[in-house]
Amino acid sequence: MPNGKIFTMADLVRYALVIALLIFFLFPIYWMITTSFKAPGDILTRPPKWIFTPTLENYVYAFEEANFGLFIKNTLIVSVVSTIFVIILGAFGSYSFARYNIGKGHLMFFILTTRMMPIIAVIIPYFVIFKTIGRTTIGELLWLGLDRQGTLVICYTMFNLPFAIWLMHSFFQDIPKELEDSARLDGYSRFQVFRRVVLPLAAPGIAVTSIFCLLFSWNEFLFAFLLTRADARTITVGVAGFWTQRGILWGPLAAAATVCVVPMLIFALILQRYIARGLTFGAVRG
Amino acid sequence: MLELRSLTKKFDRTIAVNKLDLACKQNEFLVIFGPAGAGKSTTLRLIAGILEPDSGEVYFNGANLKNVPPERRNMSMAFENYALYSHLSVYENLAFPLRAKKFNDQDIRTRVQEMAAILQISELLERRPGFLSGGQRQRVALGRALIRDAAVYLLDEPISHLDAKLRNRMRGELKAVCAHKEATVVHVTHDYREAMALSDRMTVLNKGRIMQLGSPDDVFHRPANEFVAGFVGDPPMSFVDAEYIEQNEKPQFRLAQKDMHIPAHAEIRAYVKENGLPKSFKIGVRAKDIAITSSQDDIHHVAAEVFVTEKMGYQNILIAHIGQTQIRVITPPKVAFNSQDTVWLNLDESNVHVFADGNAVLHPKREIKLSTNSI
Repeated sequence: MPNGKIFTMADLVRYALVIALLIFFLFPIYWMITTSFKAPGDILTRPPKWIFTPTLENYVYAFEEANFGLFIKNTLIVSVVSTIFVIILGAFGSYSFARYNIGKGHLMFFILTTRMMPIIAVIIPYFVIFKTIGRTTIGELLWLGLDRQGTLVICYTMFNLPFAIWLMHSFFQDIPKELEDSARLDGYSRFQVFRRVVLPLAAPGIAVTSIFCLLFSWNEFLFAFLLTRADARTITVGVAGFWTQRGILWGPLAAAATVCVVPMLIFALILQRYIARGLTFGAVRG
Repeated sequence: MLELRSLTKKFDRTIAVNKLDLACKQNEFLVIFGPAGAGKSTTLRLIAGILEPDSGEVYFNGANLKNVPPERRNMSMAFENYALYSHLSVYENLAFPLRAKKFNDQDIRTRVQEMAAILQISELLERRPGFLSGGQRQRVALGRALIRDAAVYLLDEPISHLDAKLRNRMRGELKAVCAHKEATVVHVTHDYREAMALSDRMTVLNKGRIMQLGSPDDVFHRPANEFVAGFVGDPPMSFVDAEYIEQNEKPQFRLAQKDMHIPAHAEIRAYVKENGLPKSFKIGVRAKDIAITSSQDDIHHVAAEVFVTEKMGYQNILIAHIGQTQIRVITPPKVAFNSQDTVWLNLDESNVHVFADGNAVLHPKREIKLSTNSI
């Protein structure tokens, strides 16, 4: 404690609150992870078993019986590809909004409104559209249609783009226009200036935006649930798949959920500093 | 070679640059000098092509630069707020314009090191701009503007943020570098010393209009109007309101605040005959041109009351009042007067400028002393 004092009452209350909150938020994750290592007999006991012999049989089941490896592969493809699309389109879009004030704010607001509608409102038309496209040659070539990864890439791109444009907009706005003017006078074309000056300076913003887009795509459920069946199924839907007619398979479900959560958790922890730096990017430029 | 024709730029309702006509010759160091908001930086940006004029054109070697983008104008510019690329090291910042021109790495290294040596930033080359002081950043910005061979160098207050000592040194360096490069330079500043010291010709700008264009000598000794006279020089020129009268056929100025007369030049009589009496006459006098004594005599016959004395070490600046008008006089450091002393000043045609309705009608005749055995 500061000055070597003992705990005061206020400190005690503060720490108690922090601990209570941490338990509240972290306990489900703890429970999920421990459940994934429990044998079926150890899971739904009353009182709960705190000490048990860990087993990997749930993971084996998830990957071998439920084909979870395919789901992970699908999710990776869909979220990474859609994020790449979003960043490329979003960077150009938000840059032109930031620098040329296209539509004087109205167009940007309109773009954001597309994000406001609930997915459930558009999912039926989407279903029909992709079902139709899937039967055409174009659909087959572009990997579009029901139960194809391309469909989800398109959906996630469309859904993340408005958010990405809004997030990156402020980062681009923070770059002083003189830097671009200066680079033009140094002899670079408009596009070279964008690539050599604007993009590197907006890198933290682009990183933050990518993280969010990746997280959204990784965690998305409704599109994936309704537009995929088996081949293009993603992990979130896969986890829900353990809710079977034979009952809920708690062990494999927890194992799958752990596999689902851990990569994003590690990813976010690694990039945590970048996120924090990104969010204060505009404040520190001298 | 570089020519501005009737250049006009408005921002909303403010006219930043108003029908500007200006030409800069090959290898000339042209200084645009003026107060804040005069349109100096805007003019520079119009030349650079960063801003587009509302009307008027920029010509370079006879070619209209309209629709020529900045990167193809072969001009290089130092920005007042530095505009350094914060993601690149100082070295890369300096190399940036050279890389655009596809210089090879060896040439880049040579040039960057040369420039860094001139600017005394050799030990900073590996740092990012974020870790530099304001003065260091400004030197990098200046270096980046000067490092390549451009047709015109546009410098927007490139040394104004340096500390006094460094600024004095950089002023000399800048002049030497530009002379060595035989560069054509348009330099913007609000510091009159800088303007005087650097320029081959200078133009004084106010509210988007040219007040005067000429050699530093012209601008200082023959200011075209009251604005220029009051803006160039430190301390600035003092002005006293005067009324024109003729007494016994002799043209005279009666100083408005007191019943004091000083003889007016015959040219003034001619001016009045030709143009009629202007709304106002003003007598302008530079602080260094006023002779001062403690007692009245034939020459020193304008009474003034001492207000304060500013001691500069090498000289004193005496601020005195003639009636309500403040007037500044430079005296040798040993000459000191007390506050509220009455002093006697010499104001006559040999040392005063006369302004009619703001425009100069008479300048003192200067004797040019040439000394062959001076150092």
